[in-house]
Amino acid sequence: MIELRDVTKRFGTETAVDAISLRVAPGELCALVGTSGCGKSTTLRMINRLIEHDDGRILIDGRPVREFDEQVLRRRIGYAIQSTGLFPHWTVARNIGLVPRLLKWPKPRVEARVEELMTLLGLSREQFAGKYPHQLSGGQAQRVGVARALAADPDILLMDEPFGALDPITRETLQAELRQLQSRLNKTIVFVTHDMDEALALADRLVVMRAGRIVQQGTPLELLREPADEFVASLLGGDDRGLKETAIIRVAERMLPLSPRLLPQARVHRDATLRQALAVMFREHADRLAVVDDQDMAVGELSLRRLVENRREE
Amino acid sequence: MRREAPPPNRVIGLLVLVAGLGWWLLATVSVAPNRIVPGSPLRAHEAAGWPAALALVLALAGLAALTWRPARRRLWLALALATLLLMALPAWLALAATSSVDPSLPQARLGLGAGFWLLLFCLSLMVIELRTRLALGLSAGWLLVAAVVSAWWLASPWLEPLALMREYQGRSDQFAGALVYHLLLVGAAVGASLVVGALIALAMRRHSAIERGAFTLLNFLQTIPSLALFGLLLAPLAWLAANVGWVNALGVRGIGWAPAFLALLGYSLLPMVRNTFVGLSGVEAGVLEAARGMGMSRRQVFLQVRLPLALPVVLEGVRITTVQAIGLAAVAALIGAGGLGTFIFQGLGQAAMDLVLLGALPILAMALAVDSLLGALTRRLDPRMAAGAPA
Amino acid sequence: MKSESLQGRHRATRLEIWRVPLIWLACLVLLAAGMAWLEPLFRWLQPDTRQVIYPHADFLVLLGRHLLVVAAASLLAVLLGVAAAILVTRPAGRDFLPLVAQFASMGQTFPPVAVLALAVPVLGFGTWPIIVALLLYGLLPIVRNTLAGLEGLDPAVHEAARGMGMGPGQILRQVELPLAAPVILAGIRTSVTISIATAALGATVGASNLGAPIISGIVNGNTAYVLQGAALIGLLALTVDSAFERCQRLLDARRA
Repeated sequence: MIELRDVTKRFGTETAVDAISLRVAPGELCALVGTSGCGKSTTLRMINRLIEHDDGRILIDGRPVREFDEQVLRRRIGYAIQSTGLFPHWTVARNIGLVPRLLKWPKPRVEARVEELMTLLGLSREQFAGKYPHQLSGGQAQRVGVARALAADPDILLMDEPFGALDPITRETLQAELRQLQSRLNKTIVFVTHDMDEALALADRLVVMRAGRIVQQGTPLELLREPADEFVASLLGGDDRGLKETAIIRVAERMLPLSPRLLPQARVHRDATLRQALAVMFREHADRLAVVDDQDMAVGELSLRRLVENRREE
Repeated sequence: MRREAPPPNRVIGLLVLVAGLGWWLLATVSVAPNRIVPGSPLRAHEAAGWPAALALVLALAGLAALTWRPARRRLWLALALATLLLMALPAWLALAATSSVDPSLPQARLGLGAGFWLLLFCLSLMVIELRTRLALGLSAGWLLVAAVVSAWWLASPWLEPLALMREYQGRSDQFAGALVYHLLLVGAAVGASLVVGALIALAMRRHSAIERGAFTLLNFLQTIPSLALFGLLLAPLAWLAANVGWVNALGVRGIGWAPAFLALLGYSLLPMVRNTFVGLSGVEAGVLEAARGMGMSRRQVFLQVRLPLALPVVLEGVRITTVQAIGLAAVAALIGAGGLGTFIFQGLGQAAMDLVLLGALPILAMALAVDSLLGALTRRLDPRMAAGAPA
Repeated sequence: MKSESLQGRHRATRLEIWRVPLIWLACLVLLAAGMAWLEPLFRWLQPDTRQVIYPHADFLVLLGRHLLVVAAASLLAVLLGVAAAILVTRPAGRDFLPLVAQFASMGQTFPPVAVLALAVPVLGFGTWPIIVALLLYGLLPIVRNTLAGLEGLDPAVHEAARGMGMGPGQILRQVELPLAAPVILAGIRTSVTISIATAALGATVGASNLGAPIISGIVNGNTAYVLQGAALIGLLALTVDSAFERCQRLLDARRA
């Protein structure tokens, strides 16, 4: 668990982070969002003490970070950044094994762990272990970066716009992989991004920052439905908010059980988002869709009316 | 389907033309009965007969023909032919020596003429060009150089009448000494500048005031021409030697190794400090941030990340410095520092051009060898030699 | 009205910018002209020597000759070097690019002394061989930098220029050369700096310039001569180098 209490950071006369308080529960993915210069990266880097906070307290599992030796602290917190920060003079395998080696793991264990991680992140060992970072594509490099962050199996993972420099398709793939990874590994993740779609897609909890303060925090749905002010509303897409909301609700949550009525031709998968369902309706000129499962068997139906219904009270 | 034939290699064509004209029209060698009398110039056919002269022209024409349709196989053949020609040149010189130098005159000598130099130069350029076109690696280059050098080496017993050889035989001990001394002077100056330069660069990283000051001073030093710097060091060192006992005891004088070493050190510091500093400072911020973020200690970050990444740039500094020092050490001979420069300036003083060559050629060879060796080492150490780091 | 005042300010900063080279120049000329007045100083340095001021030629004449040789060689080197580099980067001359580029970078490892010494057997003693040697050696950094400047251009810029319908000549004059100018100027600076130093060595092959007092001083064991020549060459190098530095700064300022 990570806890920030009234944490403040000043650079000279400028207050970069202004008395913010935040709790990230174990297994939670918390996304810090906001415009550039709002203090989100500074907040992230204060957690592993790359930047020291001036006032307030930062606790990890109830212990102030100041009490840790900073290197010991960092070795138990995974860290992945936008530029990957892979060491250009080391091979992929050596890069991934960095923290285990710093922790003086025995060599066979490091090797086994590297292999495990490469498999976990879909990097074939024969193909990539001996490569140097400059021989990798952006997406591959970022995978190695994430593998390196996970190497010593840290409970906490800090990620600073890790997918920021990638093309949209690679970015979406890696986001999906991270979501999957998270469902298996259950790490506590603090994630900085300025891509609102990415934050909405990944985060359990969204923290909106502005000028060093937290403007609002909550689940993505909460923020989409009840933005605290104009700033949050426009950050979340203004009038597009409705569409963003449909993008994080699954069809399965809204569908109705099969009825005796004739099923429509147009169909949508139960794990698709409402947004995708909406797109199918628009394309097929249909206001009703059959909901199908993996075997393409109908499991329910979804109407436009049902889709747009206000179900906040449920 | 007809494949488009590649256009003729005009570079080789031009070089063949220049070399051929030079070979035919200019003096290839000159023959003198002794060291003092200026030699009488001989053209190719006068020196070693028509057959040899024509054979070379034919070989050159062959080179042009092979590169007219430059398919890869033909370029290989052309490279082999050009290398063979370079290897055959000492044989031709031996032939010229036997046919035009009077064996009854022990001091008679054969000087190389403009035509011969031009041919040598053009052939070397052709080898470089063909090597580039065939995209051959460094080891292939070394192999070619080794082949040519060993051919000349093997032919050397027959090349005794060559003026260069005569000059060498007159002072072979002196030559070995000068060579060693030259290398020692350069090695000492570069070694010292590496240590001092690294210390200065580290200090500069600590304090930006030192950074500005050191760069200004070293730039200033680098601007002063070598001859002037040697001259300016002469007076203070002479004074120190005369007035300070321990300095004198060290063997420091106004002339000799002391001013040479100091001047070489001064010149070497700028490239060394600049490259060390740039190398250490130029490591990508994200890499350092990641290193710290992963929990590496300051020491680990420096030794495992910063230093290895800076090393190619530092080595580049060593390369520049060494090549520069090899040349400057030659100038130092003027202030009595010894080394190969001695032959150059003696030769210039006595108007004995082959003595000049005896000094200048090894210096050239040393500079080229150091440049290519250290260059290769730098590339080997740099994992990103082929492409830049990913964005 | 506004532009006038701006121009006025511009002029002031311009003079300001040239202050350092002008100070060096003033020192250089004053020292060259007034060396005789320093006789007491040199006399004090070398009380035992009869002659303490280099007698064979006036220092201003030596300085003039030195400058003339360097200027002639450098001017030719700039013209030939830039032209050659442009030529081999055009479609018609592309064949020659690899060899020229490789030779230009390899040639720079040749020590200038060796080049000067090798020029003598071919060209003989005197001023001309020095000019030729300086020219040949001075070509290399200029060719190399011009190539680097032209080849290092962002391909997008070239592409955009072509896309706008500029012809090859227009692209060269209005896009390529201006963008490569700082790199080319840096090459010229290197070339001229080396030429000044190497020309001084020309005194050993019979040229009469600022190197002559040094050589003569070394040969005759007269430290005063050496100091006189060395001080003047040092000042000359500093004057020229600082002038180049200001030029580069002006060029940079224009694009900032």
